[in-house]
Amino acid sequence: MTEHIGENAALYALGLLDAGDARDVEGHLLRCDACRRLLAQAEADVTALSAAQPQLDPPTKFRSAPSSAPARAWWNSRTLAYAAVLAVALLPSGFLLRQNVAMHEEMLANSAAISRVMSTPHRTVAFAGADAHVMYGKDGSWYVVVIRGAVAPLHVLWPHDGTTTMLGTAVPRGDVAMLYLPQSHRMEQLALESGGRVVGHAQLAF
Amino acid sequence: MSASAVELFPTMRSISDDGALADAFAAKAPWAFDEAYARFGRLLYSTAYHVLENQEDAQDCVQDALARVWRLPDSYTRARGALRSFLTVCVRNEAITRIRSRIRRHRMEERIAAEPQTPGELGAVDVIERDKLQAALRALPEEQRKPLELAYFHYKTHVEIAEELHEPLGTIKSRIALGLRKLGTALGSRA
Repeated sequence: MTEHIGENAALYALGLLDAGDARDVEGHLLRCDACRRLLAQAEADVTALSAAQPQLDPPTKFRSAPSSAPARAWWNSRTLAYAAVLAVALLPSGFLLRQNVAMHEEMLANSAAISRVMSTPHRTVAFAGADAHVMYGKDGSWYVVVIRGAVAPLHVLWPHDGTTTMLGTAVPRGDVAMLYLPQSHRMEQLALESGGRVVGHAQLAF
Repeated sequence: MSASAVELFPTMRSISDDGALADAFAAKAPWAFDEAYARFGRLLYSTAYHVLENQEDAQDCVQDALARVWRLPDSYTRARGALRSFLTVCVRNEAITRIRSRIRRHRMEERIAAEPQTPGELGAVDVIERDKLQAALRALPEEQRKPLELAYFHYKTHVEIAEELHEPLGTIKSRIALGLRKLGTALGSRA
C-alpha cells in the first residue's frame, strides 16, 4: 500500500477495518511518519471516548508481564538445563569463561537468558568504568547485562534522544547482578547507575 | 567514569513521566509492563468492560491484548504515539473482535429480535447519559453521529453501517472520520 491511510486512520482506531485492510494500514505505517501521527491522533480520539465512559476498577490485580521469550518445552528438562550450564562454561568466550559460580547460578536462574546467549549469534561489549558486560543480539532485539562485584542493585539505563530511560534493575546474586531484556529494540548506548551516579557506560555497535 | 561519558546522560526522567514509561515499554523494560497496567489498567479494563459487559471477559480481554502487545516484536514504538492511546485501542479492538464473535453466535436470535433500535435508545448510550460524552455526541450532526454510534457502541463495520443507513461506503467512511475528529476535539484529545 503506497497511498496514505487518510480516513482509514479513524476506521482502524475504531476497529472497523477487516484484517486485510488493517494489515495494509500497518504496512504503510512502517514507512510513513505522517500517517503514524494521523493514526496516533485518531487513537487519542478513541481513547478520549473510552475515558469519557464510567471508569471501573478491575476486580483483581493484574498478573505480571508475560515472558517475552518463546516457549521452549525442551528447556523444562532438568538434565538439559544442567547441560546448558556446562555448555556455557565451555563457550569459546573469554568473558563467559571468567565468570564464577555465582554467575552460573544467576544464569541458571534465568534460563531464558542463558538459552538466548547460547543459541543466538551475539556481540559482547564491556562497560567502561565498571566490571560489567552486555551481550546482545546483532539486531538489537535482546540484551543480557551482567555485572561482577556488585554489592547493591544497579539500574540499567538507556540514554537516547537527549534523555535517559530506566530499563530495569540488576539485583546482585552472590557477586553477580544480571538484567535480561528478552525482546527489545536497538539501543546504541547503555549505562549503569548506582546511588544517583553513572558508574558504567557501554557503546554498542550494530 | 570519564566526565565526557557522564555528560552523555543529561536527563533521567522520573518513571512517573508518561514519556519515560512509553520509552521503557517500547524497549520492553521489565518494569514497564506492570507500570503500564498500574497507570492505565482502570481505563483499559473499563474500555473492555463497556464492550463486553462482563467482568471476567473484560479482564481476560485486557490480559490477552496486553500479553500480545508485549510478546510481539516492535508492536509499539514511540512513533506510534501515546502509549495510553495505543493500549486503549488495542484492548478495545480485542474486545470488539470478541463481541463480534459473540454476536455471530447469536445472530439468529438477533434477527428474530424486535425492530432495530435507534442509536439514542441503545443500552450503552444509556450508561453514559449523564457524562460529557453524551453531550459531545448530541452536538454532532445526525449524519455523523449515527454512523459513529453504530461503529463505537454497536461494533458494526463500516460496510454494515453503509448498508444499514443506505449510504455509499465512501460517504460513511468520511462521516465516521469527521465525527470522530469532532468528538475528539470536544473531549479534549486535540489541541
